[in-house]
Amino acid sequence: MTPAPAARQPDGAVRVAAVGDIHLSPDCAGLLRPAFATLPECADLLLLAGDLTRHGTVDEAVVVADEVRDLGVPVVAVLGNHDYHSDQEADITRALAAAGVSVLEGQSVTFSVAGHTVGVAGAKGFCGGFAGRSAGAFGEPEMKAWVRTAHIGAERLSTALEELSADRCEVRIALTHFSPVPDTLAGEPVEIYPFLGSYLLAEAIDAVGADLAVHGHAHLGTEHGRTAGGVRVRNVAQPVIDRAFALYQLPVHGHGSGM
Amino acid sequence: MSEPATHEVEYRLARLRDRLAGDDVAELGVRVELRGAAVLLSGTVPTAARRDEILRLARIELAGLTVFDDLASASTDAPERMEELP
Repeated sequence: MTPAPAARQPDGAVRVAAVGDIHLSPDCAGLLRPAFATLPECADLLLLAGDLTRHGTVDEAVVVADEVRDLGVPVVAVLGNHDYHSDQEADITRALAAAGVSVLEGQSVTFSVAGHTVGVAGAKGFCGGFAGRSAGAFGEPEMKAWVRTAHIGAERLSTALEELSADRCEVRIALTHFSPVPDTLAGEPVEIYPFLGSYLLAEAIDAVGADLAVHGHAHLGTEHGRTAGGVRVRNVAQPVIDRAFALYQLPVHGHGSGM
Repeated sequence: MSEPATHEVEYRLARLRDRLAGDDVAELGVRVELRGAAVLLSGTVPTAARRDEILRLARIELAGLTVFDDLASASTDAPERMEELP
């Protein structure tokens, strides 16, 4: 930890700001803008880990868009379950894109930071549970559809991560809304873990490789975790980090080893 | 007022949780738990106004029960520190 996030980053490091679960609506307009306005001094990019709106309406997405418009750093987002609540996710994506936000669902985006290629692979992901304590695709069609949705979410993340590998990114970040690991859920009731994330996301991250995995969704969880393959995981749900965003400095040392 | 039966309280808490997670409130991050004969509401919500709205609903749904409020609103300040990942 350094007490001076505003200091210039050392050569060979990338500074990532991230927050999820901001749940904005028209009564919150301008709430995060003063903190976001400081981003050019302390970060190279901002990640938004889903649940950006309260009910998933376009009116709420416009509030989010205004909060991050023309910040001076690239903004990359995935949507969360709240952003799907009113079946307006396509319009929400357009409203955010119109403000310059890269909204990812199975895609990737790359940036050049101080001569280094930094890539973000994004997908909302889904629930389903963690290894040994997860739902199976068996029985009623509703159960099969639920599990299939979790698989599709993980496949989309995998596709996006593979794009970053093909682009030979020096720093690779996996961005989801749902959690890939149970570590960052500590504090949530154990009984609801299957609704908070899926090990399939971690399996995709470990199979392809990443330097950092960032997610939201678990408001009562904790910030720090790791995948079984050793990739660092950070839960940046705003109630967890209790700030407008969290800041991480990642070293640049060639292609992500996944360790 | 006489003490409500335990099983009735349990279902009332479940109804409040449902209502908070429903269409109009959409607040899934609030914990509703029994503490002795009282009900504790805890968790972090985006604004003080949302906190007031949740407490208003809780007092309606849980009328007759003591409600302990431990809801907080999340800080919107920029962080003072950066985590350096090795």
